[in-house]
Amino acid sequence: MTVKKKWTVIPGFLALAAAATLLSAYSGASSSQGKIVEQPVKFVHAPHVQKAGMNCLYCHSAANKSPDPGNASVATCMGCHTLVKPQSAEIKKIAAYYQAGQPIPWNRVHKVPDYVQFPHMRHVNAGVTCQTCHGQIQNQGAQGPDTNYVPVQQVNSLNMGWCINCHVQGYKPAEGARLAGQQVTPELEAMPAKKARYDCAVCHY
Amino acid sequence: MSTEAGTGVKRRDFLKILGATGATTAVVGCSSEKVGKLIPYVASPDNTVPGVSQYYATTCRECAAACGVLAEVRDGRPIKLEGNPEHPMNRGAICATGLSAVQGLYNPDRYRSPMVREGNALKPTTWDKAFELLAQKIGEVKSKGQAGNVVFINQHESGTFPGFLDQWLSANGMPNHLSVDSTAPVAIIAANQKAYGATWPQLDFGAAKLVVSFGADFLDGWGHSVPQQLDWADARAKLTDAPRLVYIGARRSLTGLNADQWIPAKPGSEMALCAALTGAGTAQAASDASGVPVATIEALAKAITDAGNGVMALCGVTGSDAVECATMVADINKKAGAVGTTIKPATGHAGYAGLASYADLANAVKAMDAGSVPLAFIRGANPAHTMPKSAGFAAAYAKVGFKVSFSAMPDETAQLADLILPDNHWLESWGDAAGANGQLGLQQPTLEPVFDTRATTDVLIELAKKDQALAARYNVADYRSWYISKFPGGGSAFTAALTKAQVSSGPLVATNGRTLAATAQPAAAGAGDFFVHVFPSPTLGDGAGANKPWLQELPDPVSKIAWQSWVEVHPSTAKKLGIKEGTHLTVETAAGKVTAPAYIYMGVRPDTVAIALGQGHTAYGRFAQNIGVNAYDLVPTGWDAAGGLALGALMGKVTVTTDKSPLVTTEGSARQHGRGIGQALPIGVLLGTEQEDEKHHHEIPGLPSQDFKSGLKSPVAADAQGEFANPESKDKGMYDPNHVQKMEKRRWAMTIDLARCTGCSACVTACYSENNIPTVGAPYQGRALSPTQWDERPGANIIKGREMAWIRLERYYEGNDNTENEFSPDFDTRFVPMMCQHCGNAPCEPVCPVYATYHSPDGLNVQVYNRCVGTRYCSNNCPYKVRYFNWFGYGEPERRQYAWPEPMHWSLNPDVTVRGKGVMEKCTFCVQRIREAEHRAKAEGREVGADEFTTACAQACPSRAIIFGDAADENWSVSKLAYDRRAYHVFEELNAYTAVVYLKKVNYPAPAAPAKA
Repeated sequence: MTVKKKWTVIPGFLALAAAATLLSAYSGASSSQGKIVEQPVKFVHAPHVQKAGMNCLYCHSAANKSPDPGNASVATCMGCHTLVKPQSAEIKKIAAYYQAGQPIPWNRVHKVPDYVQFPHMRHVNAGVTCQTCHGQIQNQGAQGPDTNYVPVQQVNSLNMGWCINCHVQGYKPAEGARLAGQQVTPELEAMPAKKARYDCAVCHY
Repeated sequence: MSTEAGTGVKRRDFLKILGATGATTAVVGCSSEKVGKLIPYVASPDNTVPGVSQYYATTCRECAAACGVLAEVRDGRPIKLEGNPEHPMNRGAICATGLSAVQGLYNPDRYRSPMVREGNALKPTTWDKAFELLAQKIGEVKSKGQAGNVVFINQHESGTFPGFLDQWLSANGMPNHLSVDSTAPVAIIAANQKAYGATWPQLDFGAAKLVVSFGADFLDGWGHSVPQQLDWADARAKLTDAPRLVYIGARRSLTGLNADQWIPAKPGSEMALCAALTGAGTAQAASDASGVPVATIEALAKAITDAGNGVMALCGVTGSDAVECATMVADINKKAGAVGTTIKPATGHAGYAGLASYADLANAVKAMDAGSVPLAFIRGANPAHTMPKSAGFAAAYAKVGFKVSFSAMPDETAQLADLILPDNHWLESWGDAAGANGQLGLQQPTLEPVFDTRATTDVLIELAKKDQALAARYNVADYRSWYISKFPGGGSAFTAALTKAQVSSGPLVATNGRTLAATAQPAAAGAGDFFVHVFPSPTLGDGAGANKPWLQELPDPVSKIAWQSWVEVHPSTAKKLGIKEGTHLTVETAAGKVTAPAYIYMGVRPDTVAIALGQGHTAYGRFAQNIGVNAYDLVPTGWDAAGGLALGALMGKVTVTTDKSPLVTTEGSARQHGRGIGQALPIGVLLGTEQEDEKHHHEIPGLPSQDFKSGLKSPVAADAQGEFANPESKDKGMYDPNHVQKMEKRRWAMTIDLARCTGCSACVTACYSENNIPTVGAPYQGRALSPTQWDERPGANIIKGREMAWIRLERYYEGNDNTENEFSPDFDTRFVPMMCQHCGNAPCEPVCPVYATYHSPDGLNVQVYNRCVGTRYCSNNCPYKVRYFNWFGYGEPERRQYAWPEPMHWSLNPDVTVRGKGVMEKCTFCVQRIREAEHRAKAEGREVGADEFTTACAQACPSRAIIFGDAADENWSVSKLAYDRRAYHVFEELNAYTAVVYLKKVNYPAPAAPAKA
């Protein structure tokens, strides 16, 4: 029988601890926050929102009535772009899709895992501004598709802690308005934070 | 079906595009970096919101009943079928077979394009080439003057199609249209026609006092299962003046188990019994023939007399004397004056009109065998499987000049064809079907065809257009245009009618009349010591449902066996033969033999063995092929006076083999062992006229204590509340009534009325459909035995107890304890739907080391999949055994055991997580439906209303036994039912404070019990 010294197990523990650290670091970094996702068409939000003054719901028409916000159909794009900037290289790409009867295969930027049910309409109808989650989306592509172009990015982590923080601490309307670049009135400032349910089965089922 | 104005992109085109983009996504998904896609519409169709379901009313075509259904369509794809609540016949209910239609639609084994025979194999071809070939063949047949010998065999359907087909055939000079249905009770239909002047009168159970069933399995699929079951359950729920049921037959079927008395008459003796009951024969003679004591026969005769015009005698006999027997049974009704009271011809069902008999089919086969059939069309029917081998179908069919099949599935018959023009599924096509009471159910497509298939109706029109002589007659674009041209009121009336999919009308064109009459041709009696009872499976029918994994996985309501064939033998017979459950028995009749494991069942006569139809496919697809045996192999070719195949009263030999194999059963024990899971109450005790006798000492007698009542209003039991579950604690945590979440005011709960439940198991399939439950029994889903070897036995996972049904139907027997030594027909059956009880004091919750299961403030026992690490402690600690572990990643497409091979995954519910490997799962009380209702209420600025929504099981239930709702709000039906006098909790003594409240079954005395001496 061999006699083992007690502390020979310590390196094993160290390895385990290192593995655990790595694993937790990995899971923490699993968010796609800040990742650059190239798109088939260099879409720019800024001119649509700021120049044309379009409401988000013009294209994401189901955001206030469905869990799925929806995305502009190709026909919706062409509704304006048959006349607006038809000669632009990016618009020509869209026109080609439309003529071929094909949808634009956008690459997904924001995605919560399968086991999370995220109802957009509950958030939109509660007054949460789009920018609260999606960042300064109205400024995306402000210089057009050819200058300093950065495609849509995931600004927040969308991790559970980030969601829960708002559900528990509450959404501050004034803060949301500030993020959206809206005027922050004293009434808004006075409004209390809106808390939401944070039971597991509200989102996980 | 609207057109997007201005863009010219039709909804149909959009759906095509959507299908195409799905394929693109799959390709991109394989690139090194996995990027999800976000595919918008090319042009948004009107009135659709992405991510929100739309419901299309249509008519179920899975059986002759033609129930109204709503197809839930999400983003262009039907994901679930539900009964249409506004339909007068099925009133929102739907059966397991109907629910499984989506698995026919998305079946991975469907033909994906037309096929043509090249040598020994069928090769894909194009529609143009297929049309060319068929037009040429039809031309040849016509030019040779042989069109009169062409045969068109169609799976029977009612409605307008048979008339349309008759017109098409006669335009082509082809008179032979056979509308066959191997499960239709031909003899009974013929006798009904003669006795009542209606093919299928309405059976008004509500008006009945006594139902006498001579093997009529009206709860097993005989006739029109859902409407019959609804009426039966409603009538039985009256309790005090509920109709009583006497079941006469050699085997106690599901209907028999629901009966108050079973009279186990010998097969083939029904005529003698009828004679005694109508006075045409003596009780002694009937007793000698049937083995039923004289006293019982006399008591039955008296019970019939006492019931007056409240008698409903039903005949389901399948022997060669079936027509005569059914006529005598009808005489019982006539004599009692019950026609018009319980048997209502005026409001009958037209689904069987125009049916051709087995004899008609056999004669066609004879003509094929003689080589006189130059061209045959077969659509939907599968005679190579559903005709007994002795009929020689395959050999005769081989002699047909050119064989055309419209089959959507590669079944045994389609495999023999020369050309396959795959038909659309009924969820992809236009049509209609006759219903009850002069109603016509309309059928509309709910998506663009999944594969390159075409509706046979459109194919026939296309073929006619290619023939110069017919082109003018068929000057329409497609069947829909033709249909609208015949529809009263035209296109606008048709569009308006589609919202309900129901009009008061007969078929738009009539079919050629057909009478069901033949010279009875009894088969050779056969020799042997045993009667062999062959019956259609309540779940698989004659085998048409066998390639739908939901139906294979659904345990037979009586035997609880799935993915398998079995031979039922009585315990005393088993003892005599020296066999145990699972021993393989060879059953041999004059026609052939089959070998299957024994299932020991006290509901079958000791001199009878019973075996179900449905399995034994040699083709048909991955879920059906090589599973079990085909019981048609035992059936000799013989028919009754209506031409119906004679199944009954076969004689045969039973040989014990040395082989044995475990039964694929989901049942642990058929006995309750005093646990009081399924409780019952004699009607006398409920009425207070009788004290419970002490015979069943292990029963929990009398009216329940209902100590749980106080606990039912709060979401969690009082002693589970508070900090560290300390009831003295002031801190009630999230169960505090003033908590910010405002969820604790509700207590989601359910009542299950065992006096209504018939054990049909539709709830089980509804749950599979709603909650993305994987089926686990397919031969490819077994575990690895070695790195290269897999357990490929059908149901291998179920044998190891790894089934996934979130709700199961437990079936227990009471009484009859000495069944190994004596035969007694007197035993009671309890059906108990069992799912997560959502305990207010749940044993599973405190044992979870990672807090993956916990109690939500609105009273749900929640399982959080992303927290679960799979310790299975919760399942160990669950007294109800309703938690299921995902062993093999059935939800992960890259794994071998994936349960939804493409395109079956199109039927997945997007609102429910598809669980991965290593996760515990269970009934959620359809939390996705709760949340959906809350979302809807919030959007409309109101609270969720009483009975506004329900769970999938309750929605489907054809007995209306399951009611779901908020027990803390007295406006919900459930909160009234939960305080019924019959209400009890299963395992109340465990103090689990469950949210599921059962209502005791009510037992009635045997209606034809001989007077005590």
